[in-house]
Amino acid sequence: MANIIKATDLTLAYDRGKNEIIKNANFSIKKGEFVFITGPSGSGKSTLLKSFYGHLKPAGGSMIVGGVELSGVSTSKLQELRTHMGMVFQDYKLINEWTVAKNVVLPLMIAGYSLDVQQTQAQRLLRHVKLTEYGNKHPFELSGGEQQRVGIARALAKNPMLILADEPTGNLDEYSSNVIWDLMENACGQLETTVVVVTHRIPTIFSLPYRHFIIENKGVYEVH
Amino acid sequence: MKFIKDHIMFILPLVAILLGIEFFLVFDRMTASYEQRLREGYSMLVVSNEPVTLQELQSINKNIGQSTKIEKDEILKEISLGQKPEDIKEIINTLPSFYTIKLAKYLDTSDLDKLQKDLSANKKIKRVETFGSSYSSNYKLFSFIKFILKVFIVFMSVVSLFLVIKQMEVWGYVHRERMQVMEIFGAPVMLRSGILFKVAIVDAFIATAIIVSIFLYFRYQLAEIMELDILVNNSQLLFQPIDALILLFCAIVIVVISVYMVVFSSREKEA
Repeated sequence: MANIIKATDLTLAYDRGKNEIIKNANFSIKKGEFVFITGPSGSGKSTLLKSFYGHLKPAGGSMIVGGVELSGVSTSKLQELRTHMGMVFQDYKLINEWTVAKNVVLPLMIAGYSLDVQQTQAQRLLRHVKLTEYGNKHPFELSGGEQQRVGIARALAKNPMLILADEPTGNLDEYSSNVIWDLMENACGQLETTVVVVTHRIPTIFSLPYRHFIIENKGVYEVH
Repeated sequence: MKFIKDHIMFILPLVAILLGIEFFLVFDRMTASYEQRLREGYSMLVVSNEPVTLQELQSINKNIGQSTKIEKDEILKEISLGQKPEDIKEIINTLPSFYTIKLAKYLDTSDLDKLQKDLSANKKIKRVETFGSSYSSNYKLFSFIKFILKVFIVFMSVVSLFLVIKQMEVWGYVHRERMQVMEIFGAPVMLRSGILFKVAIVDAFIATAIIVSIFLYFRYQLAEIMELDILVNNSQLLFQPIDALILLFCAIVIVVISVYMVVFSSREKEA
């Protein structure tokens, strides 16, 4: 199966290359895989995830995502690439002035879909994350678990090739976390979307086959 | 309430800038009109050994607008009382030609000096009287007023521009999270900053409308109420329809630049 992410001698750094976080990493992730990236606090998990959506460009080596080389990628190309990704964040990153329904269809709005399509998709997505009644509410009226479900619905809105999740259950209780993992498994198992999750700990309830990378001493290693 | 406060904080400095621009336009028209009156009211005297045409004078210096010959009879009327006709004839023959000269445009004192030198250097011309001291005092006072007003307008505009940018930064802060989320999902600049553009352009229209209303009021109401002759007589200089377009154009340029500054300052940064 084709690679959706391929890193070759990848180096990631802040402060214009002075502060290296990842050094000479080599790995690849195939289409449809579920991948966990773990590691101690400050090891560079979130940094690596940010590099997948071009928030941080490689300081050295090569990073190809969805066939696009991210070193020196143009803004317009990066924008185009991001419209094929779904992102889920620990702090949800929902827009509080907007309704839940509008938040969910943000990727469709960016892609220029008509309002009719957006409304239909909003209903479908909210039904999928079991929040049908919440479409007209605002994110701040929802619990943390509900907000994260909205975040997942938004990530799935455009049937992305890749979902990137940064500690998606970091702020949630066990029940809400299980609901989120269930939705993530569903995205990968049924929709065949590649899912990459950065987390402190792999959930015990997880039932899908997955790959596991660990970040240690600036290196990225696969755990077998 | 907060919405109104945010808008007023943006509209007020924008109004101040537009006020400065409109003052500049009005002042420019006023000064052009005043310069024209000064120019029309001013003439210099040229005495020549033989008749000179306007074309000849203009070939000496292009700032000469028109020349009028002073008839010798007119001059002699004043001095020939009691003189014999044959003496008068002789005087006429020996008298040089006199011309009053008007300028093509309003000159500064150095250009006026140059004009005098150019004319004096010509063999045909015997004497040139520019009445430079009265011209110079008018010109210096006028230049001083012009300078002070322009400094004031520029200062007011710069201060107001800073206030506009500050208010835009506040807006940018308010909308930053939304713009960053939209950027993460691949929204282009125009889409993620659409709300800022919409609000800013509405405010640009409001600010323009305020200034246009003020100056229309000045032109059609205040000038008559205050019975100020200078305003009544020059009311067409106070506001012209083209001003509305100039003001709107300036307002939109200012807000678009301000929005772009906010948008680019709120872009996701590599931490």
